[in-house]
Amino acid sequence: MCGLAGVARARPQGVSAELLERMATAIRHRGPDGFGLHADDRIGLAHVRLSVIDVAGGAQPMANEDGDVRVIYNGEIYNYLELRHELQLRGHVFRTRSDTEVLVHGYEQWGEGLLERLNGQFAFALHDRRTASLFLARDRFGILPLYYAERGGDLYFASEIKALFASGAVEQALDPEGLDEVFTFWAARPPRTPFRGIRALEPGTWARWRDGVLSIRRYYALDLTAAAAAPADALETLDELLRSGVRLRMRSDVPVGGYLSGGLDSSIACALAAQLSPYDLRTFSVTFDDPQLDESMFQQAVASELGSRHAVQRIGGGEIARVFPDVVRHAETPLLRTAPAPLYLLSRLTREQGIKVVLSGEGSDEVFLGYDLFKETLVRLFCLRQPDSRRRPRLFDRLYGYLPPQTRKGDFWRRFFLDAGSPDDPLFSHLPRFRLTTRIRDFYSDRFRAGLGAFDALGELRQSLPTGFMGWSPLGRAAYLEIVTLLSPYLLAAQGDRMAMAHGVEARVPFLDHRLVEFAVGLPDRSRLCGLREKAILRRWAEGTLPRAITGRPKQPYRAPDVPAFFGGPEPEYVGELLDPASVRRTGIFNPDAVAGLVRRCRAGLATGVGENQALVAILSTQLWHREFLDAPARARAAASSGTRQAAAGASIAA
Amino acid sequence: MDQQTTGPAQSEIVDRTRAYVRENFLYMRPDWKLGDEDPLLGSGVIDSIGVIELVEFLQDAFQLAIAEEEITERNLGTLGAIGRFVYQKCHANGSGGSLRPRQVA
Repeated sequence: MCGLAGVARARPQGVSAELLERMATAIRHRGPDGFGLHADDRIGLAHVRLSVIDVAGGAQPMANEDGDVRVIYNGEIYNYLELRHELQLRGHVFRTRSDTEVLVHGYEQWGEGLLERLNGQFAFALHDRRTASLFLARDRFGILPLYYAERGGDLYFASEIKALFASGAVEQALDPEGLDEVFTFWAARPPRTPFRGIRALEPGTWARWRDGVLSIRRYYALDLTAAAAAPADALETLDELLRSGVRLRMRSDVPVGGYLSGGLDSSIACALAAQLSPYDLRTFSVTFDDPQLDESMFQQAVASELGSRHAVQRIGGGEIARVFPDVVRHAETPLLRTAPAPLYLLSRLTREQGIKVVLSGEGSDEVFLGYDLFKETLVRLFCLRQPDSRRRPRLFDRLYGYLPPQTRKGDFWRRFFLDAGSPDDPLFSHLPRFRLTTRIRDFYSDRFRAGLGAFDALGELRQSLPTGFMGWSPLGRAAYLEIVTLLSPYLLAAQGDRMAMAHGVEARVPFLDHRLVEFAVGLPDRSRLCGLREKAILRRWAEGTLPRAITGRPKQPYRAPDVPAFFGGPEPEYVGELLDPASVRRTGIFNPDAVAGLVRRCRAGLATGVGENQALVAILSTQLWHREFLDAPARARAAASSGTRQAAAGASIAA
Repeated sequence: MDQQTTGPAQSEIVDRTRAYVRENFLYMRPDWKLGDEDPLLGSGVIDSIGVIELVEFLQDAFQLAIAEEEITERNLGTLGAIGRFVYQKCHANGSGGSLRPRQVA
């Protein structure tokens, strides 16, 4: 994977190489292996490269023979060999072995229709000189990022927001509505971001910029209509799709490793990778000193079964707090959990061990109904059908088995779910989570709350739901909401791409092969969630391939310590500084007195609930985010300029 | 009107619990008006983890033991319910209750 950045001018006033270098330097971590740019009177394209396929010949920007079509691209087209063959049959002549060139010729051949043919994870910008337009596109599920900002008729775009800021042309200001979405859903919902005027291109869409006008179209929409009955050959089809998805993602000119969480999904990905890899498989895991979070026993069992060379990133007392400011800088958003931090450290370890491509298990829980949220939805519906039943609500006590037992039983636990909302509400499945998350709003300052006015994040989400949404099953609706509110904007972004690419590691996600997704979501709900048994068909497939300890194991979500990461030992200096009432007042988003109350409880060891843990991480990360991006724009620009001088030495300009 | 003098008055239980709840669960919402019969759960004041803290406070502050099966909405769902429940426990068997229970931070 790589990073891209660029500018499209409304008028032919040129784009300086210095500007492009500055933008590219801000995202150099995404592509430490190469750097190239192209500039003419209207368009500037910059690219930083992580060499994975056609290491020698895949330099970018890449153009067709006459330079009419030129692309910068971040990602992988896994079916590039098949597309290349098809294009060659149609007369296209290829000069390299890279997947990038498939975009160039594929666009020449099919225009926007190219996107439907791609199997991959990608974001790219393509200059079409014939139509004097710039074409931007992003993969179906938003595995890779693409941001843009329109300024004075010009379009600035990049893989990360820090490159937009490095241009010096894009204002650094917060968007209260974007922040409010972070404190509702865990992430701003594309196209919104936490920054004013900066938009994320939505997953599954493309945009065309021409003469200063940007038009956006959707090319891929999820349909979560589940079949009434499973096809007789469902298991065989699943087998074929899993193997094909992993096989395609093993296409690489460098060794592919695997992230191994100890759960079912990453174990399946690694098991198939071990079968298909021409190298000895390398696997990488996070372990925690806290036994409640640690899964090393399961990780070791799988690594041993697969015979992989296994390395671990241990998370003890101070690691998370030490890197958390860097984590927020890379994530470019406030966070509600520290969970990205161990993955930031894991990608560093992976890269240090010489691996720059890994498979990960993301996406499976959403499409195979792995999370407890799906069970919770079923139990809530079951209880609400007989509201007077005293027995039915006891089923809630069987959920979230990884939480301390004393906290997940009794009237108070059950009432939390039962009172959360009506089944008629399209957001029914997620209302308990949203209600819990939005407790962060209790900490807002009066000024920030007033600035939000009548903004209603949940109302906007309801308005955005696709036609036919209410015709899907309750679990189909829940899966859709999980994908659009959490998977795409948070798990794949702040916790996925950003943490991996912080150290130049490409994470590939075989469970988000669109063919597998479409097959899985089309299965009957009970094939996936059978009673309260999650991922039923996937478990059946894995029996015989993975140790029984893995296939029979209930879902254990990946978690990291939150409040204890900052208050469980020596308190890092920045924590006291940023949570100090004067600092909180200066930032203006939260109420200093409320934050002081929370900090008091954290220091006393009393903040043990999910709500207060989320609030603390949200507030601290917001303070860090504000300091990094909004307090010192001048300093950031100075740093970027300084970096440019270093990068310029390795730049190649194709003008 | 409280009839016995060996345990805390119901109003004292309610007031002390209210102060505890305000300090520990409503510190971020100082303007919140918490009435005696306002639901502690439905309004989001206390969740299932908070109720464990609350039980610890009640046991400590009023020198009584609360069994797991007593942790119900009927007993702990509002300040008023807590007042009635704790008062009854303190005064029913003479095993608990103190007019001057120790201060809890």
